[in-house]
Amino acid sequence: MILYDFEYERPGSLKEATALLNESGDGARLLAGGTDLMPNMRVEVVTPSLLVSLSGIEPAAPEKRADGSIKIDALTKLSDLVDDELIKSELPMLAEAAHTVAGNQVRVMGTLGGNLCQETRCLYYNQKHDYQFVEPCYKRGGDCCFPFPGNDHNTCWSVYMSDIAPVLIALDATLEILGPDGTREIPMADLFTGDGLNPFTLGAAEIVQAVIVPPLPERFGWGYHKTTVRGGLDFGTAIIVIALQLAEDGETCSWAKIIYGAVGQGPLRPTTTEISMKSAVLDPPLIAVAASQEISPLPHHGFNKGYLRENIRVYTERSLVRAIARARDKS
Amino acid sequence: MKQPLSLHINDEIHELNLAPNKTLLEVLREELDLTGTKEVCLLGSCGACTVLVDNRPMLSCATLAVACKDKKITTIEGVKDGNDLHPLQQSFVEKGAVQCGYCTPGMILSGKALLDENPNPTKAEAAEAIAGNLCRCTGYAQIIDAIVSAPEIADSKSTKTQHETLAGTLDSGPYLMPETGE
Repeated sequence: MILYDFEYERPGSLKEATALLNESGDGARLLAGGTDLMPNMRVEVVTPSLLVSLSGIEPAAPEKRADGSIKIDALTKLSDLVDDELIKSELPMLAEAAHTVAGNQVRVMGTLGGNLCQETRCLYYNQKHDYQFVEPCYKRGGDCCFPFPGNDHNTCWSVYMSDIAPVLIALDATLEILGPDGTREIPMADLFTGDGLNPFTLGAAEIVQAVIVPPLPERFGWGYHKTTVRGGLDFGTAIIVIALQLAEDGETCSWAKIIYGAVGQGPLRPTTTEISMKSAVLDPPLIAVAASQEISPLPHHGFNKGYLRENIRVYTERSLVRAIARARDKS
Repeated sequence: MKQPLSLHINDEIHELNLAPNKTLLEVLREELDLTGTKEVCLLGSCGACTVLVDNRPMLSCATLAVACKDKKITTIEGVKDGNDLHPLQQSFVEKGAVQCGYCTPGMILSGKALLDENPNPTKAEAAEAIAGNLCRCTGYAQIIDAIVSAPEIADSKSTKTQHETLAGTLDSGPYLMPETGE
């Protein structure tokens, strides 16, 4: 037997799913694609007693709304996101990010909402308990973080690995969240608490229902890079996302956003560097140094802080050059 | 708690009584004896357990069997056409794309999903399609070669004769005994 025993429900709508989650409290989890939850249940990292499967609910196709924004159903499969004509032409950055997620099979199974709400990862935490040859770690109910025993004992240093979340922050996306009391909308960046123990601000019975991406401005440029150890399918070592808008002269930067994924308990932003890029003519090497020094990448999966910082510096520079070139192309 | 479930596997309907914690992989291998689908990492990393669900490659180790209600599942046992190999399987044989063979069912199903959508893939597209399948023997070159040249084999319609020739040499070929020199 691969999995332990649990209850299974397959509601016909998201409303029923929130009601089920609300009734059963902490022991229930949502199951969308299962590519994150099932392996975690197999190694008994998470052990829900009830699975609320969303496999009976068909996602709506991405649609362009009257105000120019694009609404994407959170149950959209990642492979559909990669192949969708609307996303490819309007939001190529999102299509590219979805394309870098793991291999073909995982993209066919995995959903957009599931990718955003994936569990944080850590070399120690993601092992079966039999292989953790000391006590359970902090995230598993123990009282110490074994990978970082010298650190503050009440912090979990697991890493948030989503490839798509940094891109949605760069695109100013809004999340539509369905709860027992109705829907609410939050900016993408507000999904994260910045704590590895409880990485999301979602309530126990809340479901990410849709992602709304506002229309892109003119002379918009973007750069995306995901460093991996193995090219084809891997979690990111560092994910670098840049979005910027050039002023009408094609030289000055109106605003820029730099977001780093997979190097912290949530996406990280070098905000001081971003402010310094406003209304300035950009010098990519200088900005790359400033940005990489400003953030503090979290060592993970054997990569130390120095390596991650250098990696971020190099690819920030290259992505920035690409972003500026793309913005000029459009002017 | 067990629940009745009918699964549509390789054009056959199987009526089963399953607990919800059974993965599709367990059901295929242990309940239905379709052991062509391989069990390796069980963590969704290696792709050896790939099956086609509604003609798209999925990891059967990370799919619950109860979630496959009303879906059409194809395993490696359902790929062949009668007694003939599928052109892609034939291509794997001819190009030497099989070594230990443990990744092969998954590779063939990933390759088949690609060929069904795109009958003449390039090498890059073939490499992309099998990116989720790990092989530790062949180094992928022969596998990609086999996927790319599968359409030729399907075209040349000599598939059957080639298959018979191959079988012929094995069954009735002249087995040469080593000369002892005496």
